[in-house]
Amino acid sequence: MAAYVSMGEAHRRITDYLNRFADAVSYQDGKTLSRLVSVSSDSAVLVSLAEALNTFQDANRLMRQTEKYSQYVDILLPMLRALQSYRLRNLVESYLAFEKASNAFLQEFRNWELAWALEALYVIAYEIRILAEKADIELASIGKTPEKLKGAGSFLMKVFGVLAGKGPKRVGALYVTCQLFKVYFKLGTVHLCRSVIRSIETARIFDFEEFPVRDKVTYMYYTGRLEVYNENFPAADHKLSYALTHCNAQKEANIRMILKYLIPVKLSIGILPKQLLLEKFNLNEYSDVVVALKRGDLRLLRHALQEHEDRFLRSGVYLVLEKLELQVYQRLVKKIYIMQKQKDPSKAHQIKLDVIVKALKWLEIDMDVDEVECIMSILIYRNLMKGYFAHKSKVVVLSKQDPFPKLNGKPVNS
Amino acid sequence: MDRRNYFSSSSSYSNSTKSRNSNYPKHSIPSRDSSGITSTKKTTTRNRDSDDGRRHDSDDGHQDYPTLVGTCPFMCPGEERERRERLRDLAVFERLHGNPAKTSPNLAVKKFCRTINTKDVQASDVRPVPVLEDTLNYLLNLLHSSDQSFAVVHDFIFDRTRSIRQDLSMQSAVSDQVIHMYERMVKFHIISHRHLHRSFGNPNIASMCHLNMEQLMKALTTLLNLYEANRASHSMCQNEAEFSSFYLLLHLGSDKQVEPLSLWFRNIPSPIMKSKEMCFARRLLRYYRLGNYKQFISTTEGEASYLQYCIIEPYINEVRMLALSCLSYGGYKLQPYPLLHLSKLLMMKESEVESLCIDCALETSSDGTGKGLLATKQSVIMKSSGGFQKYYPMESERIERLCTELPEL
Repeated sequence: MAAYVSMGEAHRRITDYLNRFADAVSYQDGKTLSRLVSVSSDSAVLVSLAEALNTFQDANRLMRQTEKYSQYVDILLPMLRALQSYRLRNLVESYLAFEKASNAFLQEFRNWELAWALEALYVIAYEIRILAEKADIELASIGKTPEKLKGAGSFLMKVFGVLAGKGPKRVGALYVTCQLFKVYFKLGTVHLCRSVIRSIETARIFDFEEFPVRDKVTYMYYTGRLEVYNENFPAADHKLSYALTHCNAQKEANIRMILKYLIPVKLSIGILPKQLLLEKFNLNEYSDVVVALKRGDLRLLRHALQEHEDRFLRSGVYLVLEKLELQVYQRLVKKIYIMQKQKDPSKAHQIKLDVIVKALKWLEIDMDVDEVECIMSILIYRNLMKGYFAHKSKVVVLSKQDPFPKLNGKPVNS
Repeated sequence: MDRRNYFSSSSSYSNSTKSRNSNYPKHSIPSRDSSGITSTKKTTTRNRDSDDGRRHDSDDGHQDYPTLVGTCPFMCPGEERERRERLRDLAVFERLHGNPAKTSPNLAVKKFCRTINTKDVQASDVRPVPVLEDTLNYLLNLLHSSDQSFAVVHDFIFDRTRSIRQDLSMQSAVSDQVIHMYERMVKFHIISHRHLHRSFGNPNIASMCHLNMEQLMKALTTLLNLYEANRASHSMCQNEAEFSSFYLLLHLGSDKQVEPLSLWFRNIPSPIMKSKEMCFARRLLRYYRLGNYKQFISTTEGEASYLQYCIIEPYINEVRMLALSCLSYGGYKLQPYPLLHLSKLLMMKESEVESLCIDCALETSSDGTGKGLLATKQSVIMKSSGGFQKYYPMESERIERLCTELPEL
């Protein structure tokens, strides 16, 4: 329940805000300005301002009276409306007003020479996304099409356009890019990331190293994820590893998010994480997968995929993990080879297909000799095994040298 | 994991919101592009992605067009019918007694118009949903009743159903009736996909196949979006699992130009993912990706429905070629792999196995016991699956039976 505010007090709070805004611009005080536009934050100043607006309904007239802030009326009026609506839980109204304010702000921003207002612009970019998401929830709940987040995306593209120039403002482009990524990932229109990625990576005005580290980490995280979806493992490894090494060590939640995608990539190129790492970052869904790879236990891999199916599908790594089957088969055959070597080293390199059938049966996996032969031929073809198989004799003959080549950081041959 | 020092330089990282299932329709059709990251022209709403002839101004965001309701009572608006009579632009099915300059309201069907702009359209030129349904019934019936060759019938139905979809999207029609219409049109395209692939001797076949696939994807994408839009108000449509499985099977090949399947999976509801049809398709996907040619072929043979088989069929040959490559690559020089056994494995006639070997430039030999595939450490030159390979049927009673009983459209 909003506190009662007297007319006089309300008037004071509003003029106070307007003054602060105008002063911030005059003195090029980016920090203060950014605090004034973070509509969704719970800052005491803004909450009390919103209450004041409920009492004093004529901010418009107030603004136009004083020259000091009348020049910013296009920004301030909708900004106040956005704030008031937000506190009254009219989220669609809030978004629409904020979008208006943001557009007006962007116009002014273009005219400001230096990059002092970047921090405020960042807040605007962040807020527009957050408000759009909330507005869409409200729209969906009343049975309407949720399309505000899409609108926020369009605005952010405009911001990107403004920042993509030669001046000092261009270091802000990566932050905006990351906000765009978040929008596109949320909407599922991930293919739209491509045009911004291309701008960042190929435009001559941008030097990647100039951007702030935190933005680079976020950027590499999202582009790394895209590489995972496209199964470009070397590229995914490079990007996600970059994000990992440059991520603030205190931000464990972020590290966890990066690892969630990096681990399947590493597994695909034959690098296994330690159990301690998985436990530390609460990524135990990968534990059984790792064990299955170490043991050559196909049943365990399949079981792990089934148990965490929803989670893996949602994060988009399910297909990557499924493909690890080939490496599990390789490991299984290697174990049989090692066991045979212990019994009779001279004959170890010849493995009867029936033995493999039995081993799989012991893992409760039903495979006939034809299918085992098929798998063996695939392992050889994909260079996971060196040797040949003899169909008539139903036996696999392994090369005496390096019969199970390691992946060495490269994904399995396609 | 490497001993990676991730306790290095300080930086912060802005929070990212967790993605969760949302109400946004998001199936899309990217255009062909060689970039490694998925790409498309800048598409916005699902309408743009699928069937809409609408021009959206992506910058103003969503514009609320007043909902158009068509009033044309015929399969073809009168004005168009008269114009085409004058211009002698009548398809063979539209001609009254074979007269190229005369048609009738029972025969003329509205053509697809590429350059339509929603703002200029008259309600009298647009057919309402019941008329569209009757039109669709009429068109699909031609598949059984016409004497013309398949290519000719296909061509006509292809164009006229595209016009139906155009009328539907202009009216933003969403209902169970509309969903059912899309389902039937998708099935038509799937059946055409198979029939066109098998008809040789027609020089236009390659482009017809390509165009058919394009429309198949558009219609299917719209359909999947309709299912999603309907989900809020209804329970799951019973056919959604089946048509989702079609989408998955159409994306078996790792075509980097299309939306990655991993992304598509994220938004599929769990009951659909666990449905019988999707589990079948997912298993085939796994076999395909792992290269398990034996299971790919035998599972298809044992479990595919007719429509699923139509989609899978072009991959069968590709998988067979992979099998030959692997078996010849890893085989034992002194024991050529018996073609007889291969024929059972690959479900082909032995003579056709031999032809396929020749197609792949693989050598065979014969000895007392029969012909065999010779081992060679050279990798086989695989023809791309997009190209036109000779078609070798599946030696299977079940599949043959499926293919002779045409499904209800």
